[in-house]
Amino acid sequence: MGSSTDHGGAGGRGKKQAGGSQLWKKALLHSSLCFVMGFFTGFAPSSVSDWTSAAVAAGRVGSSHVVRALPTAAAAGGSGAVNRSLLAHGAAGGLLGLGDPASPRPLLVVVTTTESTPAASGERAAALTRMAHTLRLVGPPLLWVVVEAAPEVPATARLLRATGLMYRHLTYKDNFTAADAAAGKERHHQRNVALGHIEHHRLAGVVLFAGLGDVFDLGFFDQLREISAFGAWPVATMWRDERKVVVRGPACSASAVTGWFSQDFSSNVNGTAPASASTARPSEVDVHGFAFNSSVLWDPERWGRYPTSEPDKSQDSMKFVQQVVLEDLSKVKGIPSDCSEVMVWHVDTTAPSSSSSSQPSMHNKRR
Amino acid sequence: MRRWVLAIAILSAASAAALFLGAEAQAVQQQGHQTERISGSAGDVLEDNPVGRLKVYVYDLPSKYNKKLLKKDPRCLNHMFAAEIFMHRFLLSSAVRTFNPEEADWFYTPVYTTCDLTPSGLPLPFKSPRMMRSAIELIATNWPYWNRSEGADHFFVTPHDFGACFHYQEEKAIGRGILPLLQRATLVQTFGQKNHVCLKDGSITIPPFAPPQKMQAHLIPADTPRSIFVYFRGLFYDTSNDPEGGYYARGARASVWENFKNNPLFDISTDHPPTYYEDMQRSVFCLCPLGWAPWSPRLVEAVVFGCIPVIIADDIVLPFADAIPWEEIGVFVAEEDVPKLDSILTSIPTDVILRKQRLLANPSMKQAMLFPQPAQAGDAFHQILNGLARKLPHGDNVFLKPGERVLNWTAGPPGDLKPW
Amino acid sequence: MMKSLLPQSQLRRSSAAAARSSSGGGAAGGDGAMADGGGAGPRAPASSTFWFLLHALCCLISLFLGFRFSRLLFFLLFSTTALYHSTTSSSSAAVLRATTTTTTTTTTTTTTTNTFTLSFAAANTPPSGPANRTALEAAGDNKGAASSGNPQSHVVVGRHGIRIRPWPHPDPVEVMRAHRIMERVQEEQRRWYGVKEPRQVLVVTPTYSRAFQALHLTGLLHSLRNVPYPLTWIVVEAGGTTNATASMLARSGLTFVHIPFPDRMPHEWADRHATENRMRLHALRVIRERKMDGVVVFADDSNVHSMELFDEVQKVQWMGAVSVGILAHTGTADQLRLSEEDKQNMPLPVQGPACNSSGHLAGWHTFNSLPFSGKTATVVGEAAPVLPRGLEWAGFVLNSRMLWKEADGKPDWVKDLDAVGENGEEIENPLALLNDPSSVEPLGNCGKKVLLWWLRVEARADSKFPQGWVIEPPLEVVVPAKRTPWPETTTELPSELLDDKQEQEDRRLSRANKSSRPRGTTKRKADPQGQEN
Repeated sequence: MGSSTDHGGAGGRGKKQAGGSQLWKKALLHSSLCFVMGFFTGFAPSSVSDWTSAAVAAGRVGSSHVVRALPTAAAAGGSGAVNRSLLAHGAAGGLLGLGDPASPRPLLVVVTTTESTPAASGERAAALTRMAHTLRLVGPPLLWVVVEAAPEVPATARLLRATGLMYRHLTYKDNFTAADAAAGKERHHQRNVALGHIEHHRLAGVVLFAGLGDVFDLGFFDQLREISAFGAWPVATMWRDERKVVVRGPACSASAVTGWFSQDFSSNVNGTAPASASTARPSEVDVHGFAFNSSVLWDPERWGRYPTSEPDKSQDSMKFVQQVVLEDLSKVKGIPSDCSEVMVWHVDTTAPSSSSSSQPSMHNKRR
Repeated sequence: MRRWVLAIAILSAASAAALFLGAEAQAVQQQGHQTERISGSAGDVLEDNPVGRLKVYVYDLPSKYNKKLLKKDPRCLNHMFAAEIFMHRFLLSSAVRTFNPEEADWFYTPVYTTCDLTPSGLPLPFKSPRMMRSAIELIATNWPYWNRSEGADHFFVTPHDFGACFHYQEEKAIGRGILPLLQRATLVQTFGQKNHVCLKDGSITIPPFAPPQKMQAHLIPADTPRSIFVYFRGLFYDTSNDPEGGYYARGARASVWENFKNNPLFDISTDHPPTYYEDMQRSVFCLCPLGWAPWSPRLVEAVVFGCIPVIIADDIVLPFADAIPWEEIGVFVAEEDVPKLDSILTSIPTDVILRKQRLLANPSMKQAMLFPQPAQAGDAFHQILNGLARKLPHGDNVFLKPGERVLNWTAGPPGDLKPW
Repeated sequence: MMKSLLPQSQLRRSSAAAARSSSGGGAAGGDGAMADGGGAGPRAPASSTFWFLLHALCCLISLFLGFRFSRLLFFLLFSTTALYHSTTSSSSAAVLRATTTTTTTTTTTTTTTNTFTLSFAAANTPPSGPANRTALEAAGDNKGAASSGNPQSHVVVGRHGIRIRPWPHPDPVEVMRAHRIMERVQEEQRRWYGVKEPRQVLVVTPTYSRAFQALHLTGLLHSLRNVPYPLTWIVVEAGGTTNATASMLARSGLTFVHIPFPDRMPHEWADRHATENRMRLHALRVIRERKMDGVVVFADDSNVHSMELFDEVQKVQWMGAVSVGILAHTGTADQLRLSEEDKQNMPLPVQGPACNSSGHLAGWHTFNSLPFSGKTATVVGEAAPVLPRGLEWAGFVLNSRMLWKEADGKPDWVKDLDAVGENGEEIENPLALLNDPSSVEPLGNCGKKVLLWWLRVEARADSKFPQGWVIEPPLEVVVPAKRTPWPETTTELPSELLDDKQEQEDRRLSRANKSSRPRGTTKRKADPQGQEN
């Protein structure tokens, strides 16, 4: 190899000596400099070989490590400009098909996470069935991403197959204790598995987290496709066997989100205005209340925005997205445009503070 | 002479029976209008019954050529080259088998050349040439029939990647060429590529072995809506054997990944999910790109599961191509056109797609792709026999004049000449 | 990686130039361009640009070669153990290939371009963004080079480029086209395997206005819209028809009959059950009066129905029974004091027909309420499991003709509807319509398949919800836009918000006046409105 390089160089040298000018020395110097540069460039990690070897070696489903190699390398490779244009492309795609039903629509990626407690299997089947029926009515292209712990797969796979929907059934083998699951760790992991898939495949579209048992007005999905970066909407959360009905969501003026509200309808019996605007303040936005264009996942800014001391945030896609949507409200679009209509209903299955059902519960652990 | 008359009589009787059976099958199929009749370039031959049309003599070799190898490593029964083992088992109890070599049309030598696995289970044919050579020497010395034709009325099952070239790397396989001793024999192999050193004229291309019971167990109702547009599971890059890329699958698989990983219509991945077979049954198109060799088990799986095979392997010769109309059931995409795959597939008229699906629903074609145990009418064993029967009667050049010798026993790499 | 931005043509030229320059050193002294360039270098501006270009190209080439060389070294050092053969042989092969690549560079122009592009592409596979890839038109070249590879086949043996197209994808038009194809394929599948002459499905749903109504009814509505058969939805609403229900039905796109039922829905589960039964009977009477023809399905709004159910009911001759999965043990965790082990072992409880070996009805699987004894809810919204009472109506389907006064072939074991429930007594389940319950046809693979799920999820009856689920902005903006929402520090509810009440009310009214809501509701108060009984 080395000799063959010299070969090319020697040819050049021969010419140069004929000319006998300084130019040639310079050229040679530059060439060798370039050679050295290229030589070291070659040692930069190449993402393709990285992921394949990783994938071959790991052979695991939805391993977020495998997935992560891609964007890191992309960022390292300095292809920021390109990715930015991609983002722009995605945004343009989001606006495409507005109003004209015949024209192509942007992709909707609906992510559904599942319970893994055995007692919930019947309910899971029922909820997935209902969700499938709703999604069947949404115009294509739509991709349903269902994340599930590996042991549950066969029964659900049978159910999903019958729906006729285009879906990806992602599984993972990580084990979670009941306590972890209750604390939402498993759910969080599931969401990251889904985002990992979206990132790995660069599936460009609007990503929606549809909880099991959530009910959507069909008009909601049309509005969803108009999102260019982020979208947020009011969600009515209800508790079974409780009095509480809470609507949480963005406060909008002319489709621009100006803030966030939370309103408990049950605590006021005769009121003309809701007495309790909940002051519940999670550090992150409710997963059921927003959607985003998946291109933010490979936005080069993502890798620049966290100092190296905080690798956690950039590694955890879910956290990242939740963070980003909070940071820049100007990019958030209200759904519907004045955020005045509830189009999404969510049943909270976590046990609220059962003793005081009439009081707004402070935690809003959503499922 | 009497033998000929008898053979012709049996042949005509058999063909009459086949005709009758075929007509009946057609009547049955007209009731369920979801299937369509299959005919290949050799005519409606899928449902032919080879019994009575040929006789096969099975050499009785020492078990070190077959059974002992299998005993040493039973994994041989499950890999995609297992056809050589099941073909042997099938012939032993087949109605076409004859114990009288004098009346045999074909001679079969049961050597399990691919049943030599690495500890990790990979069949590597390093010893195969020597094993084959040793077996041929044995039959040539113990029976008179080899020398009579130097193998022209013998057939061998060589299901490895590049058949009787006995090497898994194409360049090396080409360098080796077909084992000189097999140059006159009929080869039954999975490898098929037009104008290739490793594909002899007159070879019979067979489907790779896919486990029939396992596939049967994963069958789902035929009315399961097909909701995947394009499906593929497998390697895109073989980084350990082809670190630079571009050798494996001639770059076609890598191109599939790079161009379509972000296409929601393409359900492609390196994962091997437990629902692999089920997912094929709910896909419209199944990619069947070449790997190291042009063929892959996906060809069989796609046909069995009614998924339209998208064959990406230039110049491939497909199994039983004279009986199965691959052009009509599958989609052929040139390797260089892989980046246009989405446009190609979406521009196929729906009627054409539906017709392909109807053809694929035909059970006789699925049957022809499988090596079931016990054997069933119309299965791949029978198609092999049909193929052999269609070569009969033997031409004049099959039998050599006394003393005439064509084969050069000392040809080939010196390593192959060592005893096995 | 900057090489990747270089246009193809330039690259080709560069390699061609390299080839020329190298060969020109020896034999091709008389090459016009080269000789000219060599002599004219310092003088003409044109040639100086040429020299500059040559310089740049040489630099690029050495950059590239350096890159390749280091990659090779990289593989040599770090390539994983090969599957088929040892590491050393694989890497030595790699070296060999690389050498051939570079040596061809120095021979002829055509092969140079070919091999050069190929290896260039391969080297370029690492970056992941599709936009920074260069497309290859290597195919044609491949064919040209084939002769050197393998004289017999036109397929080249050896290294190939990985073709990556430069145009954006996926093409949204093609995506839509693919979806249309799949739609057709599924349609055709239904045509092949589906019911040939479908009967109408008459869906009977008792409902009433409450917090969970929108959620339940929307869910059911979506299910019904997926039913691939003609369908009429008979909705009986307790306490009279309401606008909310009516507008939902109107927007459903389904054929529906909205029937008011005078009684209000009671709070007690037992009473509610009885009222629902009377509502269903009421619907049956409507079917009888209007001589509606089809299969009657009792779809309660909180139940979940599989599509298979609607396929199965097409088979019913007179009355059929299906298996119902009971989702009763899913009450909030701390209320249901079943041990964890109990839950683990409890499969989905099923209520439905049991078959004998000949496929005829032999009995009923009923719900075992034993683990729940004493722990069930009596009032709607009580935090305890709600259990089915006896056999649920939801598990039965019937041919509407058996309800008609007169129908061909109506079996004599069917009671006349007028004789049933005349005096207001409760009809527990549709078996009361029969003289001979053994004639019920078990559906769904003899009841082995659960075709629907029974669940009763309700909020407490006194819960409030916004009328029509329209909320009137602006609501209390808890967090102004410029600040991080949900700030970490605990703040009390801003007091001015409470003072603003009246102002908001005014604004709301004015808003409601001028805006036309899609729901078609007139000016109304935004009060949360509960179900008052």
